[in-house]
Amino acid sequence: MTTTSKAEFLKYDRTLGVAAMEFRGFYYPVDAAVRGDGRIYGLSRSHEGDPRGVRVCMLDLESEYYGVFGSIGEGDGQFTWAASIAIDKDDKVYVGDEYLERISIFDADGNFLDKWGTPGTESGQINGPCGLAFDSDDHLYMSDHRNNRIQKFTRDGQYISDFGSEGSGDGEFDLPWGLTVSPGGDVYVADWRNDRIQRFTPDGDFVSKHGESGDGDGQFNRPSSVAVDGEGYMYVADWGNERVQILDPDGGFVMKLRGEATVSPWAQQFLDANLDESRLRANSNLRTAENIRGDSEHELSSHIEHIFWAPVSVKLDGAGRLYVVDRNRHRIQVYARA
Amino acid sequence: MSTSDIALIAHLMRRAGFGATRAELEAYAVDGYEATVDRLLDSAAEDDVPMDMLYRYHPDHSGMIGTGGVTAYWLYRMVNSKRPLQEKVALFWHGIFATGYSKLTQGRVLMDQIDMFRRQGMGDVRTLLVELSRDPSMILWLDNHDNHKTAINENFGRELLELFSMGVGNYSEDDIKEAARAFTGWTIGNAGYMERRAQNDSLWPYGRLNLHFEYRPEDHDDGEKSFLGETGKLTGEDIVEIICRQPATARFMSRHMYSFFVADEPPVTQWPYSEPRDPAAIEILSRAYFESGYDVGEMLRVMFNSDFFKSRDSWYEKVKSPAELVSGVLRLTGELNKPDPKLQGAASEMSTMGQSLLNPPSVEGWHAGVEWIDTGNLVERINFASERFSDVNQPGIKAMIGKSMADAGGVASPERLVQSCLDQLGAIEVSEPTRAVLLAHAENLKSSSGGHENAVGEMLRLVASTPEFQKG
Repeated sequence: MTTTSKAEFLKYDRTLGVAAMEFRGFYYPVDAAVRGDGRIYGLSRSHEGDPRGVRVCMLDLESEYYGVFGSIGEGDGQFTWAASIAIDKDDKVYVGDEYLERISIFDADGNFLDKWGTPGTESGQINGPCGLAFDSDDHLYMSDHRNNRIQKFTRDGQYISDFGSEGSGDGEFDLPWGLTVSPGGDVYVADWRNDRIQRFTPDGDFVSKHGESGDGDGQFNRPSSVAVDGEGYMYVADWGNERVQILDPDGGFVMKLRGEATVSPWAQQFLDANLDESRLRANSNLRTAENIRGDSEHELSSHIEHIFWAPVSVKLDGAGRLYVVDRNRHRIQVYARA
Repeated sequence: MSTSDIALIAHLMRRAGFGATRAELEAYAVDGYEATVDRLLDSAAEDDVPMDMLYRYHPDHSGMIGTGGVTAYWLYRMVNSKRPLQEKVALFWHGIFATGYSKLTQGRVLMDQIDMFRRQGMGDVRTLLVELSRDPSMILWLDNHDNHKTAINENFGRELLELFSMGVGNYSEDDIKEAARAFTGWTIGNAGYMERRAQNDSLWPYGRLNLHFEYRPEDHDDGEKSFLGETGKLTGEDIVEIICRQPATARFMSRHMYSFFVADEPPVTQWPYSEPRDPAAIEILSRAYFESGYDVGEMLRVMFNSDFFKSRDSWYEKVKSPAELVSGVLRLTGELNKPDPKLQGAASEMSTMGQSLLNPPSVEGWHAGVEWIDTGNLVERINFASERFSDVNQPGIKAMIGKSMADAGGVASPERLVQSCLDQLGAIEVSEPTRAVLLAHAENLKSSSGGHENAVGEMLRLVASTPEFQKG
């Protein structure tokens, strides 16, 4: 157990990325993976109206840019509904596509290597691979969400096992989304439409569940992703509540984040080159908004730039930094342990 | 239930919704016509669109960049909502209070305006006009952020009177100026930055920022004003209140309602010079306007239950707008009832047919009626419907074929084939010349080798090209 006080558990560190429909930047990013040496792979889903945006953008914590790979389509190395990304021990990059129902594999520089996946409901077949995570043996756990189960594969797509079924009981799922393998090997799943996190042994035996529907502390509204650190703390993308929550290893509430993005180096370069906008921006109040329609956090997030809007994925790096993929704001917010 | 009951409810659903399948019509008919009207108008009915699902699979439905996502979102609602009149009314007001992406370069604020029409569009006109005057997209669209105490901008005040409430000939130029004075200080937050971002089509650094209304008392002219014969320190709300009291407003709203739901009127610009098609109907609606306290829902109830609405003279007289046609076809085929990458492509079909929702050609909206159809658009309309009806794997088509085969016992006469297909597509009644063409084709299909399933598919596609299907 940590001795850090709850109020100081995490603090804002920096923001990465900029909204960009192609090349450097993100466009509706949905997931990210952080390699051991710190290289970050940000997966942009984009949308059907703008195929340029679909890609993986490579960068690091210092905003050094290493290029992009992937594009929209059904060919090798292409995605239609890019949904998830993970890295194995050999630094190969795996991307799940929840429309084409397949996993595409790339080398560390983004060169296409292989693909696997068969649509369907039988064991080993997939229907919506929206969460990917490797265990210490380099076996791949997959949130096979429209089949309401978690499947386990070898790296080359050989089926090993699965667990879970549709429902709201222990060990059941309602359209699960992100998942993670803790340093201890347990599997944590963001059970999206059941508004909870479920924990399982590596073999899929139910261990515990955390959270319930709501917007109070420790409650969730459609959680989309979970990360777990070496101490067992859970970091949850509370997507529908537009926030991130941290729970202690027993599920007790620790703190919540609403987002506090600043201007990233890439964003600053844009503002420096567009002084007409940046001067007007400097004289604007972008921290508050009154007279907005309704009282939803979703609507509030559409007005205020620095807070999360659809925080969809959370990932931890080896130093304990938390990377929050801020989907509708096309960026990643980074937090660090105090 | 009688065939005439079904046919009348089919007419209602074409006008108050986007059409209905035969099975849906039979369910409505059990309750009866007036109960169906009440159900359509029920503002307390729960919104049944799963926003969490849409936002999960379609990030662009949050609507900050481009119109594609928000148009697809609206199409999803038109196709799947169990409250079709709510969507139809939003479409009605969008055509009158036309606000467009071309100047705003942001979808979200337009989507918020449509949500306001959904929420307030069947309520009282006073609240609707006040909300419209505070609507950030309208403020930017008609430059009210440039309407200052020291230098008025008449744009919004002029259109409020000319296009949104009374019509030309019922007010003076001085009334426009006084209305503009009353709306000084009604602006948006960070107006300069937001206007520049819109002009630059800027999504940097982190996507669009939604707009919000801001009242700036120091920029509001609180002096005495005279408007339509009333004098005082009038505010924007007072201007709307005075507008709502005018008989011209009642007639203007009634004529719009008649033109959208009953039968085409000429474009608004011609109204000062042309009598309404049915003056008695306008009088009935105007009376409902005042007796209900300017309540749109009550006006609609009176209209849908009126003889002039039910009259067969108005059936199949209105050309479906592209939004009505596309939504109606997709409701029949039963597709796109869940998140799907094809949703945005389907929405773009409306643009191809001449109606880019959220981006009308001007502040006057679209010129509807027969202007929806020119040579190119007609081909697009027929091709779209025909192609969708060709996909026998769609659940709605499968159901129609199954029902038709059950009705026919597997082998249908040409007459039964034609009637069955017209029924399945929403109890459509056709003219004798149209029926003769359909029957001739059905005769030819008897000798084809495709069997009954193929014959039904062929007939559905042919019906899609008839005037009765293209109209509503």
